[in-house]
Amino acid sequence: MRLLFINASPRGKKSNTGILMQHFIRGFLETPDNTCEVEYLVKYKNNLNALTEKFSAWDNVIIGFPLYVDAMPGSVKAFMEALAPLKGRKDLPALGFMIQCGFPETAHLRFVAKYCEKFSRRIGCRFLGCILKGGCEGLDVQPTFLTEKYFSLFGMLGLDFGKTGKIDEDILTKLARPEHLSAENMAMVVPFINQALWDAQMEKNGVLNLSFDRPLMP
Amino acid sequence: MKILILNGNPHGDTGSIDPYVDHLVEKIKSAGHDVTIITLRDHKISPCIGCFHCWIKTPGICSINDDARDITRQFIAADHVILASPLMMGFPSHLLKNAMDRNICIVHPHLEEVDGEVHHKKRYDRYPVISLLLEKEADTDEEDIDILKDIFRRQAVNMWSSVGFVHFTESPFEEIIHAITVH
Ligand SMILES: Cc1cc2nc3c(=O)[nH]c(=O)nc-3n(C[C@H](O)[C@H](O)[C@H](O)COP(=O)(O)O)c2cc1C
Repeated sequence: MRLLFINASPRGKKSNTGILMQHFIRGFLETPDNTCEVEYLVKYKNNLNALTEKFSAWDNVIIGFPLYVDAMPGSVKAFMEALAPLKGRKDLPALGFMIQCGFPETAHLRFVAKYCEKFSRRIGCRFLGCILKGGCEGLDVQPTFLTEKYFSLFGMLGLDFGKTGKIDEDILTKLARPEHLSAENMAMVVPFINQALWDAQMEKNGVLNLSFDRPLMP
Repeated sequence: MKILILNGNPHGDTGSIDPYVDHLVEKIKSAGHDVTIITLRDHKISPCIGCFHCWIKTPGICSINDDARDITRQFIAADHVILASPLMMGFPSHLLKNAMDRNICIVHPHLEEVDGEVHHKKRYDRYPVISLLLEKEADTDEEDIDILKDIFRRQAVNMWSSVGFVHFTESPFEEIIHAITVH
């Protein structure tokens, strides 16, 4: 099987999308003769047509991106618009998405996933599915006990996809936990993230006391 | 009321958004409101690069110094912001989305619970009502509109706004003026 993985994170190579993608590809390549190429959308920002041309030359394409304000980042939308002229062509790839976000619940990703499915139908690509994962900001600093389980699930998804050409629903269901946080979880997770992720970085930059600044106050 | 219209139509010479917006501006003025229109394609608004400097290095200010900074300033100063765009592949234009992404500096990085979900804390005391004014594509259907509305409602929650209206360029101007007045 041949797969083109488009890492469409605005952060390019050093991205949470990239970390999850690596685990997926590791699994995918375990099947002999499978090949995968990775492209970074940021590299094509001034030349989207070059990436559009590549798109139609593959059997399978997965586009990975972070959730930005409850949808795809503007730069990813620009790429989706650039794909519009391919609409209805006979040689289009099967298309899947890998979407992750900062908030811990998968619920935030459900609506953009619906959009992506509709996008696939609109352009005329067979839809592979959407791989969704919340709680991904700061993946490189999250403790191993948090990440190892879902990194291995991404590996299994890739392995299974590499064998069957399908994105396994059962693994998606496991990855999608938690869909919502319980009240107890909420009470634990929120202060932890505020401190360990955000205050720690502001403190390091010496701006914790400016945290609530309102520089654009009318 | 202070109304801001962000026109996200990438092509000024085609479609119904630009003429509709021009006409709407006149109607809004006649109704006694203060209205500003920003045509995004005439401005430099780089896409967000995800650096989070607006939260952790220079709280409240985006690291990219281009026209988006002033647009965010006007956004937060408005009572009601109308986001205008043609639908393109079933969603408003990338111009409009880039401007929305660049606005995350108006909220605070800290999380808090809002109606049983995690969202961000406020940075400012008040936020504008946001509305959508869209031009349909030839193949726009009910499903597209439902998806759009669901996403837009969530965007409003995430930005401490509420949704004013979602209208299309086939709506009578009076309906929009009415919707502005009641919000
Ligand atoms: C402009 C902007 C908007 C964001 N909006 C959301 C959001 O609405 N919901 C959410 O859960 N995370 C949101 N995030 C967080 C990102 O989805 C998260 O940091 C992600 O892991 C980044 O992935 P990347 O490193 O692959 O770019 C936003 C981040 C940025 C920079």
